[in-house]
Amino acid sequence: MIETFILIERILVGAIFLTGFGSVIFDSNLVKKIIGLSLLNSAVVILFVLEGSRIGENTPILEPGIENVVDPLPQALVLTAIVIGVCVTAFALALARHLYISTGTFDIDRIRSQVHDEN
Amino acid sequence: MAKAWAIFGSVSSLTIAAVLVGAILLDPSDWPAQIRDFTERQGVADTGAINLVSSIYLGYRAYDTLGETIVLLLGVLGTLGLVHVGEQFTGGAVRKSLRTDFLNVASGKLGPIVLVFGFYVMFFGHVSPGGGFQGGVVFASGLVFLAMGSRDAVYSPLVRSSFLHRLEGLAFLLLLLAAIIGVFTNVGLFGNLARQLGLPPAYFIVLLNILIGLKVGSSLGLLCLILLEKAR
Repeated sequence: MIETFILIERILVGAIFLTGFGSVIFDSNLVKKIIGLSLLNSAVVILFVLEGSRIGENTPILEPGIENVVDPLPQALVLTAIVIGVCVTAFALALARHLYISTGTFDIDRIRSQVHDEN
Repeated sequence: MAKAWAIFGSVSSLTIAAVLVGAILLDPSDWPAQIRDFTERQGVADTGAINLVSSIYLGYRAYDTLGETIVLLLGVLGTLGLVHVGEQFTGGAVRKSLRTDFLNVASGKLGPIVLVFGFYVMFFGHVSPGGGFQGGVVFASGLVFLAMGSRDAVYSPLVRSSFLHRLEGLAFLLLLLAAIIGVFTNVGLFGNLARQLGLPPAYFIVLLNILIGLKVGSSLGLLCLILLEKAR
């Protein structure tokens, strides 16, 4: 069975993920949606590192005398995921800036009604 | 009516996401320890890096790192293209600066210190927490410091967009060369060249860290400068 400490940490990570997801769905401001995307990315990164930390105690830097390190593989995998998250956030912000310049607002409902009126 | 459907759709997608996330998080299976045991035994001897995370993403799985630098390159190019298309609509963007003299002076003077710290994180990525990507991000923030500290006529030559473009292209080219030379000298793609030349294998890891750090730093620095509208 899972120990309670890891269970509590996992539930917190799930809360961060659902907060980001809810922000992408429910917020009407584009910038808040992009912040939600960044929260989603961070939650997945923390989950990977958390799961890798279950089997050891020390950081995976083998200075003399260190043994029983945590799993270094999830940390190496999420390094790529962090960089890709930065790229996605930058591209989303450029798109939001372009929408603001074209329509004058960040609010998704007003943008949708403006696009419907133009069509 | 449309609003009720929208709210129903939003709440149901949130509950489905919560159920899926809960199913992942309440998994009681054990985490396998084979990779940790293998890298703890063999990591330093195979790649020369004491930092086991560096030995994975620069030694055993360096090919994934190459793919990820390509993703960064494409992301920056896409964002630059989008920003330039946006500027065609307005003929130059709105310029609102909230800068004070204290901000200029302090960030301009702190810029070189942050660059030195970025280089330290890049160079020592194989013996301490850090590496190419982390050092590159600190390098990019140092470039943003330098750009924020510049006045309208005086720009540090490091934050010119032509210089950053060339640095990014040169670092990426050298990274590809470092990967491909291994194919011609019988070590394999991304094989450790330093062992061929008789040097300790950590030299290759340090070289890869520096190249990745310069590429990531110049890419992200250029991206931040263009979004801040301070690129010259």
